[in-house]
Amino acid sequence: MASNQLMTLAEAAELIQDGMTIGLGGTTLYRRPVALVRELLRRPTPPRDLTLLCFTAGYESDLLVGAGLVKATRTCYFGLEIFGLAPMFTEAANRGAIQIIEETEASIAMGMRAKLAGVGFMPSFAWMGTDMMRLRPDIKTIQDPYSDETLVAFPAVDCDVAVIHALVADRRGNARLNKNYGVDRELAMVASSIIITAETIVDKLEADVDIPALVTNAVVHAPYGAWPTSCYPHYPVGGGELLRYIDACTSQAFDTYRSEMTAETWGYSPQIME
Amino acid sequence: MPDFTIDELMVVCIARQVVDGEVLAQGLATPLVVAGYLLAQATHAPNCASASAIGQGLCFDRAPLGVARIEELWLGKSVMHVGFVAAVAELLPRFHLKEFFRPGQVDAAGNFNNIAFGESYERPRMRLPGTGGIPDVTTHSNNIYLYVPRHSRVTFVEKLDFVSGLGHSPARTRGHGARYLISDLGQFDWVNGRMRLTSYHPEVDIQRIQAKTGFELEIAPDVHETPPPTAEEVRLLREEIDPLGVRRLETLGGTARRDLLREILAIEGVL
Repeated sequence: MASNQLMTLAEAAELIQDGMTIGLGGTTLYRRPVALVRELLRRPTPPRDLTLLCFTAGYESDLLVGAGLVKATRTCYFGLEIFGLAPMFTEAANRGAIQIIEETEASIAMGMRAKLAGVGFMPSFAWMGTDMMRLRPDIKTIQDPYSDETLVAFPAVDCDVAVIHALVADRRGNARLNKNYGVDRELAMVASSIIITAETIVDKLEADVDIPALVTNAVVHAPYGAWPTSCYPHYPVGGGELLRYIDACTSQAFDTYRSEMTAETWGYSPQIME
Repeated sequence: MPDFTIDELMVVCIARQVVDGEVLAQGLATPLVVAGYLLAQATHAPNCASASAIGQGLCFDRAPLGVARIEELWLGKSVMHVGFVAAVAELLPRFHLKEFFRPGQVDAAGNFNNIAFGESYERPRMRLPGTGGIPDVTTHSNNIYLYVPRHSRVTFVEKLDFVSGLGHSPARTRGHGARYLISDLGQFDWVNGRMRLTSYHPEVDIQRIQAKTGFELEIAPDVHETPPPTAEEVRLLREEIDPLGVRRLETLGGTARRDLLREILAIEGVL
């Protein structure tokens, strides 16, 4: 644990390499690491063949799919909530261009608990009787040795790099989130390395830390770094920008949108919010 | 009888399914359900708590519905937040929360599908966002409720493409299949494991409901017209619970839906 892990977005983005499993913090439209995702798209050679691990996936993940960086997805929901389907994911999935590793809330939650406990699996009554076992032939059942009930043995989840957007972080890498935690606190403990982007950087956080510096490898100052997803209480969901994204994708203009959103001038403009 | 719209009738029917003191679960993008819970809490069920996907919290309080600013309700008013891992592994199994799910497809036994349309999993006709916690909760819950904002043969099918939500199925080892379903045409329950029409909404006849359902409907002997909302229920909904009309986003499609979304975002100041 270094005393100062502060670096630029570009430096942090270099930690993500071809073929890695990357975990993106936040949930659907809330506190997603958009700034770091944008930086991946700005890299001269963006990483390829990524596996996306998200509790729920939204705008940030759809950008990566649209840019062709994603080989496989592991999430229990990939969409834009009330804004509708995630356009690039849906299009890629319909033509079989992306591998979907079907997950649910329980398979991710129990998989993280297994990883944190240092065991190969956690048992659960989830999925029993549904088609999920057929769609995930790698997942096995186990007999409860006490009751004989058949249960699903959810395997431990691995993650190479997690990227989590925080309200505030210190230079060492302690970070404070808002209360819309998602699975961020567990993801930070599961992943091999962690990039924290934060609205504000301080010298030292004294209390109420959600992610300890022990697990952090990079800290980046990224004001408005979740926009157009929200960062409560600082800013709400940038609904207009999400609509512009959806419009671009549905009129076959993802590449135009990508050029615009990776340009220097793109980003949250406070006057939009007033 | 007050003037009311179909979304308002659905919200009122959902509210009437709530029993005072229950813990109510709210999924992603389900404003008709949240409006129903808030209406129940404002009327006959003041002692209910809501557990929300956004913020993974427990909330005893109320705030109006929103889109871009919905966290002001779930983060501003919740009394505790557990995160999703504990919510899934502890809270949901511990309290058999009442939850309304919106099926992509549903069969006569109340099994449902939110994975994809089409027989091929690798090349589906339409990939859906995914199943969230549906295969986790429906396999053990005693409190499964369903709602369908637009009743059609696309949704009510003889055979599902995939089973992600467990209904009245012989494969069930715990819990109970769906208790209730509301659509924009009527209300339904399950008897002997088959879906049954219990009431038809005003100006809807039974033949039309059958024609829009892809399997043979059972009809309750005392089938009747759905009781309309009261004037006070409509007032609460329009003035206090959902003045922006967020609930209507679930019943509209195409341009009408898009226009309403833009209107709401403009009022919220994020357009």
